[in-house]
Amino acid sequence: MSTGTQIEVVMPQMGVSVSEGTITKWLKQPGEAIARDELLLEISTDKVDTEVPSPGEGVLAEILVSEGQTVDVGTVLGRIGPAGSEAAASAPEEPVPAPASVEPAAVAPEPALAAAAPVEAAPAPVAAPQTETSGNGRAFVSPVVARIAAEHGVDTTAVAGTGTGGRVTKKDILAFIESGASAPAAVLPGPPSTEPQPPAPEPAPIPEPAPVPRPPDETPEPQTIPVPEPMPEPPTPRPPTQPEPAPEPQLGPGEVLEPMTAMRRGIADHMRRSLDTSAHVTSAIEVDMSRVVALRKKLKPEYERTHGVNVTYLAFIARAAVETLKEYPWINGELRGESIVTRSSINLGFAVELADGKGLIVPVLKNSETLNLLGIAKGVADIAERARSKKLLPDEVQGGTFTITNPGGYGTFHGTPVISQPQAGILGTYAVVKRPWVIQDEMGQDVIAVRPIMNLTLTYDHRLVDGALAGRFLRDIRERLESWDEAAY
Amino acid sequence: MPELTYIQAISDALRQEMRRDQRVFVLGQDVGVYGGAFKVTLGFQEEFGPWRVMDAPLSETAIVGGATGAALMGLRPVAEMQFADFISCAWDHLVTVAAKQFFRGRTPVPIVVRLPSGGGFSGGPFHSQNPESSFAHIPGLKIVCPATPHDAKGLLATSIEDPNPVLYFEHKHLYRRIKGEVPEERYTIPFGQARVHREGDDAVVVTWGAMVHTASDAADQLAGEGFEVEILDLRTLIPWDKARVLESVRRCSKVLVLHEDTRTGGFGAEIAATIAEEAFEDLDAPVVRIAAPDTPVPFSPALEKAFLPQVEDVVKSLQELAAY
Amino acid sequence: MAVREAEPVGSLQEVKEAGLDREDLLGIYRHMLITRAIEERGHILYRQGKIPGSFYTGRGNEAAAVGVATAMGPNDVGTPLHRDMGVHITRGVEPWRIIAQYMGREGGPTRGRDGNVHMAAPELGLHPMVSHLPAMLPVAVGMALAFKIRGDRRVALGWFGEGSAARGDAHESMNMAGVRQLPVVFICDNNQWAYSTPTYLGYPIEHVADRAAAYGFDGVVVDGTDVLAVYREAKAAIEKARQGGGPTLIECLTLRMEGHAVHDDAFYVPKEMFEQWAAQDPIERFRTWLRSNADMTDDEEDQITSVVKRLLNDALERAEESPLPDPSGLEQGVYASAEDLDTPHHK
Ligand SMILES: Cc1ncc(C[n+]2csc(CCOP(=O)(O)OP(=O)(O)O)c2C)c(N)n1
Ligand SMILES: [Mg+2]
Repeated sequence: MSTGTQIEVVMPQMGVSVSEGTITKWLKQPGEAIARDELLLEISTDKVDTEVPSPGEGVLAEILVSEGQTVDVGTVLGRIGPAGSEAAASAPEEPVPAPASVEPAAVAPEPALAAAAPVEAAPAPVAAPQTETSGNGRAFVSPVVARIAAEHGVDTTAVAGTGTGGRVTKKDILAFIESGASAPAAVLPGPPSTEPQPPAPEPAPIPEPAPVPRPPDETPEPQTIPVPEPMPEPPTPRPPTQPEPAPEPQLGPGEVLEPMTAMRRGIADHMRRSLDTSAHVTSAIEVDMSRVVALRKKLKPEYERTHGVNVTYLAFIARAAVETLKEYPWINGELRGESIVTRSSINLGFAVELADGKGLIVPVLKNSETLNLLGIAKGVADIAERARSKKLLPDEVQGGTFTITNPGGYGTFHGTPVISQPQAGILGTYAVVKRPWVIQDEMGQDVIAVRPIMNLTLTYDHRLVDGALAGRFLRDIRERLESWDEAAY
Repeated sequence: MPELTYIQAISDALRQEMRRDQRVFVLGQDVGVYGGAFKVTLGFQEEFGPWRVMDAPLSETAIVGGATGAALMGLRPVAEMQFADFISCAWDHLVTVAAKQFFRGRTPVPIVVRLPSGGGFSGGPFHSQNPESSFAHIPGLKIVCPATPHDAKGLLATSIEDPNPVLYFEHKHLYRRIKGEVPEERYTIPFGQARVHREGDDAVVVTWGAMVHTASDAADQLAGEGFEVEILDLRTLIPWDKARVLESVRRCSKVLVLHEDTRTGGFGAEIAATIAEEAFEDLDAPVVRIAAPDTPVPFSPALEKAFLPQVEDVVKSLQELAAY
Repeated sequence: MAVREAEPVGSLQEVKEAGLDREDLLGIYRHMLITRAIEERGHILYRQGKIPGSFYTGRGNEAAAVGVATAMGPNDVGTPLHRDMGVHITRGVEPWRIIAQYMGREGGPTRGRDGNVHMAAPELGLHPMVSHLPAMLPVAVGMALAFKIRGDRRVALGWFGEGSAARGDAHESMNMAGVRQLPVVFICDNNQWAYSTPTYLGYPIEHVADRAAAYGFDGVVVDGTDVLAVYREAKAAIEKARQGGGPTLIECLTLRMEGHAVHDDAFYVPKEMFEQWAAQDPIERFRTWLRSNADMTDDEEDQITSVVKRLLNDALERAEESPLPDPSGLEQGVYASAEDLDTPHHK
């Protein structure tokens, strides 16, 4: 098996405009087996948070970019080795014949296993001093061996292993300690030595001629006991986009520092850029939602029963907005350089708050003009759900031509949202509130009735959309909502 | 001490309990004149009469539900399922009623349900199962799986004495194959105490029921290779002797969990998980499980052999553990 | 007619022959009032959010429940269901414990381990139902089996609804009871609805009690709003069982006067049906009977009403004082220990 069979895991391109991503979590650790398409890590970009499935099958050999780091698209994040291979040893080395110890022939490391260390172009990590004497090609240390090693201050690489591939077994390390080979100087602060070890290292009948690594105390030169190497840094070139170490913000009493997620940084940048780009103006209109309320009440059970979808007010508004946008191409358009772009499709974006309340994502319902009320209700429910569970595809957060934001869920009745660039407008919908409302009775007399009223706002880019146009747009949406024609939708 | 077969030991124990305690009675299909499908109660009706050795209609629900009611009224019913597999028909009564009655009403339900279980003779999908793990998941039930005649007798006495619903899994393949010395006098064996079936320090096999003997044959083979395997027979699954298992794990550091029931969700998974949680730093190799594959029990001998864990399978796994 | 339809009870004389004196009659009336009052109070508490979970009542079934329970002997046992509050009251479960049970308090008969009418009072011969219907029937049969084996002169009563009569448990129980002629009486609370399912979608024969013949014992249908007729039939069946005469199936015909539970408005029940059955409300019916046949006076009536009122007020107060169960004790009490067997019902 050659190292050429290693598979690289790279930072994916999560959408055309995305150039970098942050690793939020590795779902596997080096040494763990991974199947093809099994989820390997989670990343966060300014468009979506997503999970990255493994590009191949085998064992995660190494992680090159750790959690929290932001790197360019295409950067190698880690490598997957063939099944049965090992995680990269911290100091990969050739299985050099041990100068001092006689390797029991029966347990010669299998070449295939010993060769698992990567020989990629990555700069070799700290060249281990070739004083390494153990023929132990396997770095894996079992939990019990690790514990005993810690308790007795033994460097396991100094112990000759008799397990598979030269692994140091529990018996090996106990025999090693028994032989007195572990240097007392290396004893770590551990449990008081007065306490007898639970599995008292009995004078175990050693099965084979004990492969005593080296006679104790014979050559106390440093070379006999390798100095434990500090863990080398992941051998990745520093990603160029690594956020420069900003000057530590000064914290006042009671203040807490929390790093910005990639998404938050994306939102921050975008909001600022939008305000710097468009000439934001907001107009509002009041809509009597009586018909919509009645209709929703009527349709809700049917939609739920037959289609499993909850039809929300938002669906009605979106549907009305689409119809109206057809007649106002500029509001569905954008300014591109010196030109005005209009289009035949209406791709509605919906601002969705993430489940943790710590971010915002705007999935897009493409070609909303082809959907009826049911289609919109289903589409909105679907993208909102997937936005919250982070299952959106990169494509689904791009290409919006107009956006609806619905901060009214908490009872607010007015707001001035920020336009999603490069669009020309954003519609805000707010709480439906019962209010005294002046209407005309059959006799044409003014009377006060209780009506469910909702405010709608249009925030538009005044560079492209004039106030009168915005007013007419809002008026038409209101008209559609107030005289909702059931048959037509 | 007389040497008895496993089934004779069960029969003796039951007779002894019925002689000793008027409240104990047997309820099941064909348990009277016929003496039960496997003849555990042969001759009982002559001695105890038709009301204490009661032929029930083909009604598992009524048998287990009825046993529950009789127990609530102070009797000590021992219900027999003709085959453990048919306990599915009485699931509701064990799980919904018997297991939860004490928790709710403080009224103990001292019933024993005898369950002839296990494969090895082409019983097929409906006469060969080992459904113990399904019930191990139900708080309120106790689960007993004896492997030897000695344990079969002592554990049956304990089961009848116990104030809770006890599922007593008697392995059919052991009935007449396994013999052992059994004291004539009455004795009980506490629940939750594993038994060392074979001593060794190089690895431990945690198992129960018929697999104790499979493990034992395998261990004998390995002894020639200088690898001494401890066999720990859990004897009861609820409660199970966690402390003793962990003690063995600490000493041996290599563990094989073996059962005849299918693999996924088998009780071995619970044991393996517990070892991983509580003895991680004592492991010198991954915990290995051998169990039946996740299929119904097949009928054809060729298939059934592939289904049931064999001595060779255990030998192979132990060899791998030895080399690890 | 495959099954006997019981006659209504007429005169005081007839009742006396059935074993009830005037004091007993007033007691029955009181029990019916307490039954209704507790469930009405529960209804209110439920809507106040003081009772968690779901809430079922037996409105319309008070006579059936109280009538049967009055006929039980002191050592008889039973497994009443969710329409049978009257059985608990008649057997002597204290109202405050019932409200504590509703509220999930430590003082309830299941100490908060279970709720609503799933109440245990083994010392009174009552064993708690499970939700699975009619899973308590085989249990009642087993109790009767114990009596038969031991030769106890005791009888077990197993309740079931007409809806759950469709399940196999009912068949297996009655069949085994018939085969062994066990001292068990099966009480079918036929309130004509199984949740929203009418009887004709539940069974294809005229009466559930018609089935008794198939199991080799007697069946009888009785007007479940006539507490005295219910009493008389139950008494006869219980005593017959006690004498070794085997099981009986008594079908008490009523109407469930509310939804299946509080959450259900019973829109599917025809209004005329409610009106027809409201005209024979079991409590009002018995009150009228007492006034014309047993000379119940205004004073007596007022006194009973005020006793019930006081009882209920005290019950509520005491139930609310009862603490919520301590979660740290949750894992205790899953398994019984040997000492737990020394409870009286095991003697
Ligand atoms: C085995 C089972 N299936 C379903 C239910 C849900 N359920 C509770 S009460 C009920 C209706 C029972 O009708 P009936 O037996 O007539 O009794 P009633 O409630 O009318 O007194 C149903 C379907 C249940 N409790 N048990
Ligand atoms: Mg009903």
